[in-house]
Amino acid sequence: MSPTTSGAVLNVGTREVTRAQVEDFLYREAQLLDEWRLDEWFTMFEPDGRMEVPTTDWAGWDATTAGFFVCDDYDLIRARVKRLKSRKAHAENPHSRTHRMVSNVILLEAGAETVWISANFLIHRYRDGGAYTYVGRYEHVLKVDDDGLRFRVRRSIPVMESMDPGARLSFIL
Amino acid sequence: MTQQTPVRPLGGAEGGALIDEDWEAMRFRVHRSAYRDPGVFRDEIAKIWGHTWLYLGHETEIPNAGDFKTRTLGGRPLIFCRDSAGEVKVFLNACTHRGTILCRHNEGNTKFFQCFYHAWAFSNSGDLAALPGDESYPDDPGFRESMRLRQVPRLQIHEGFVFIAFTPDVPDLLTHLGPAAHYMSLTAKIGQHGMQTLPGVQLYSVKGNWKLAVENAMDGYHFAPTHNTFVGYLRETGFAVTDDDQYAYDLGGGHGLLVLTGHNGRIGMVWEPRFGDEEKARTVAKRNEMAARLGPELAAEIADASRILFVFPNLLLFDLEALTIRQLEPVAPDRTDVRAWQFVETGEPESVRALRIKTMVSFVGPGGLATPDDIEAYEAVQRGIVATADSADPAHDWSDMSRGMANEKQGNQGRSIDEGAMRSFWRHWADRVGVATAVAGDPPADPGAPGPSTVFAAGSTATAGSAAPTTSGKE
Repeated sequence: MSPTTSGAVLNVGTREVTRAQVEDFLYREAQLLDEWRLDEWFTMFEPDGRMEVPTTDWAGWDATTAGFFVCDDYDLIRARVKRLKSRKAHAENPHSRTHRMVSNVILLEAGAETVWISANFLIHRYRDGGAYTYVGRYEHVLKVDDDGLRFRVRRSIPVMESMDPGARLSFIL
Repeated sequence: MTQQTPVRPLGGAEGGALIDEDWEAMRFRVHRSAYRDPGVFRDEIAKIWGHTWLYLGHETEIPNAGDFKTRTLGGRPLIFCRDSAGEVKVFLNACTHRGTILCRHNEGNTKFFQCFYHAWAFSNSGDLAALPGDESYPDDPGFRESMRLRQVPRLQIHEGFVFIAFTPDVPDLLTHLGPAAHYMSLTAKIGQHGMQTLPGVQLYSVKGNWKLAVENAMDGYHFAPTHNTFVGYLRETGFAVTDDDQYAYDLGGGHGLLVLTGHNGRIGMVWEPRFGDEEKARTVAKRNEMAARLGPELAAEIADASRILFVFPNLLLFDLEALTIRQLEPVAPDRTDVRAWQFVETGEPESVRALRIKTMVSFVGPGGLATPDDIEAYEAVQRGIVATADSADPAHDWSDMSRGMANEKQGNQGRSIDEGAMRSFWRHWADRVGVATAVAGDPPADPGAPGPSTVFAAGSTATAGSAAPTTSGKE
């Protein structure tokens, strides 16, 4: 942990990052995803950003040593956005209704130009008359710039023991 | 578990047949109660899962002495472990005393399994090691012996793939696998230093009958329309997908094979632009290495074509861009648990491993760009097939799988975009479950070759001397 006093502020280079800034970033993301504004969501990644969803047996492995549910590089995130906007993404046509709650935001550590943060999420998803709940935590590496924060690594870690019937990850977790 | 399926007597054709095959009308139909009827499901668990070889897992999941995984097959909880002597053992995961689940962890390493209820403990080779208060039991060594952990009656391993059976009266594993054994061997030969499963298992359930997952894998007809967005993605990366000149094979015993040449490149074997330049050079080196190690013919057979192998009843081997092992576990008529492992070359460089994992999970699994649409399809079938149950016109309550029958009748090799591999699955299924098949007209004299070619490669299976068919090239 970085030697900050309150845990609510970290210094990244000459910049200061506050927990409120990170919360705003995560809340805005949740809103964009719940409203299926995927093009805007995609701009929250830096070029070369990546997105990962480990499997439910995850024990800290990275994507060179274990299978994942999602391990997208920047091109694959773009392909995923394009796909999800298509009527031919059958698994999301019609789109799922989602409702995200983000909490327990913690600034973990500062790098030279990044901040490492974690948060809990709870996502309710409704589709085809079914209701599904996804519980997990985020562990993100955010690039800090003059114009704000961007995802360098966006990692959603499911806490469930497995994906329930019907609970496939055809939306953004 | 909610069960929307009405419980009622089976419909079906005259005499209760659930498969209706007519070679004059070129019609093959499956009665929809086969996907939704609890009675059919009970019969499947008893007659298929209870009486044939089942894929349990791969030896490399438990590499060290004492390693274990727990897993449920055919509804029975199991311990899959390597004992202290290094031997693979499979026990029913229930204390012999009163039946308590003995091991409540998903995985780990241990010398002993101890029941928390009365503290009986068993060694990882199944011996009863500790019996608290044993002075109150008969002073009889036979008693301890009778309380050993219950092993599954049969266990055999082919190329690291561990199979079990819950009854002793099953044929030898290689007899059961038939030509499918050869295609498993092909995947096992890819790595110079062997192959292994990775941690990071995709565990998920689908709201669909297990047979819909089998059909989907053996059905090339759905590829273009269902995976339109994935095909579009590949096209943008510089790879044009084609369905031409690709074939389906009935391997006998309910096993099936699709041989696909035009769906994607293959890591280390057939380069495509999205793999990047570093991989282009490595592919040349890898092909040379394989040709030197295995001979040019076998190396080409392994490398040139993608394959989807179905081993009846619960193993799917996706030998595509990279390899995925998928296992099916029926839970209810309308629910299937799925487990999927990435199967990789042992000791390959980190950059290759990363490319392999990224590429494979971009397609397969519940978070990929393609599998969710497959799951959507079979969940949609499960929702739709209740519409015609108890229909005023019983002729409506059937699903059609007749595509390509006319071709088959003329003796042509079945195409991957036809439904021949699904038909052979269903015929074998009906046989196993003891469900009648109504057949009209004369089926083709030769119901299909057992594999893509008649060339036989000697010694191609490591654990058996049996010759198996192999491809000499595309037919």
